[in-house]
Amino acid sequence: MTDDLSCEHADELGAAFVLGALGADESRAVEDHLATCDQAHAELRAMLGADHVLAMSLEPTAPSAALRDRLMVTIARTPQEPSTRIKAAAPAMDLQERHGWLDWLSPRVSRPLAVAAVVAALAFGALNVSLQSQLAQQDRALRAVADAISVGGVAFRVNGSAGRGYVVDTPGSGAALVVAGLTNLPADRIYELWLIDASGKPVAVGTFTPSGSAVAVAAVDRDLTGFVTFAVTVERQRVSAPTSTPVMVGNLKAS
Amino acid sequence: MAVALRVVSERELAEDLVHDAFVVVWQKIDRFDATRGSLRSWILTIVRNRAIDRLRATKPRIEIGDADDRSLLQTSSNPTWDEAVERLGVLQLRTAVERLPAEQREAIELAYFGGRTYREIATITGVSQGTANGRLRLALAKLRAALGGTDAAPNGLVAERANLPGTER
Repeated sequence: MTDDLSCEHADELGAAFVLGALGADESRAVEDHLATCDQAHAELRAMLGADHVLAMSLEPTAPSAALRDRLMVTIARTPQEPSTRIKAAAPAMDLQERHGWLDWLSPRVSRPLAVAAVVAALAFGALNVSLQSQLAQQDRALRAVADAISVGGVAFRVNGSAGRGYVVDTPGSGAALVVAGLTNLPADRIYELWLIDASGKPVAVGTFTPSGSAVAVAAVDRDLTGFVTFAVTVERQRVSAPTSTPVMVGNLKAS
Repeated sequence: MAVALRVVSERELAEDLVHDAFVVVWQKIDRFDATRGSLRSWILTIVRNRAIDRLRATKPRIEIGDADDRSLLQTSSNPTWDEAVERLGVLQLRTAVERLPAEQREAIELAYFGGRTYREIATITGVSQGTANGRLRLALAKLRAALGGTDAAPNGLVAERANLPGTER
């Protein structure tokens, strides 16, 4: 109907376009026009995304436990589309470039791990994270993350004054720390991750800085095999031996 | 979940839609483009489009196309809206929507939650298509101003008001 949509007409249809109130042909025409027109279309572009305010103005409705379980089973059995854009060199980096919502995904976290965390965390609280701050809900979200990530793998509980969560180990994807309620740090401090063997010797396995988001995911650089304890300390910079008391600890022998 | 429930009004069906939407996210996460908007926005779009398609399946409707492909093709969002969502709580967002003039709020809710086109909204509310479309434009402009964006009146609406009976401020 509107293959040759004028700029004026596109602007007039902008709100309807954003709200999904156009027929398929008109909607496609506006989309095509925006993709090819060299005019600013400031009013129309200012409206893009307004529909999500309507969605987020609704009182959150928690999904049932049955839905959570069903989704986890489905995800475990459903293959993903082959990756076409991002390879291992910098997995998930492009997901972080805007708006900060995915800041909790460390750029060093492997892509399968990141994807599992995204899906599970979204399904169980992160969408309304500012509204669902009760510990029980966070714990359920974290458990779901751990469940999703550790399909075929292992999850270990970690606790401490800085937060609580899980170390998860997925064959082929490596291990990661998934933690909620993480205490923010001064600008000159970082969290450092440690694996400790039976003799008590710590090995540095990564660092990360919390972004203020409710859920943090950080990669663990070493395989968990041969280690009995996981720990997190606060340091000024990455060090080869801890300089402070751990703020989170997990027993890698207990599931 | 809340969006699906608002659209289809049945909890069991809403949970099915959310389940299916997250499976789509799982399958197609590699096609998500962060330069076009947040992941949350993308998922909300998938859930809403699937819910609307389910709603339409029970009514004689125009053919719209595949909901998930529409979600993936979504044009880049303006960050103003995501920032408002991050900054404000549900109550403040809802208050901003509820403070819109009733006819404008009705129009955007029929569109977003009801899956109605502006032509259908015109028929339902008994106004001209121009007026129905104008209400959508005014509503979003006022919403943006209320949420901290630039208060820019939609271009052309003054003229529309002059020409289209029933188009209001």
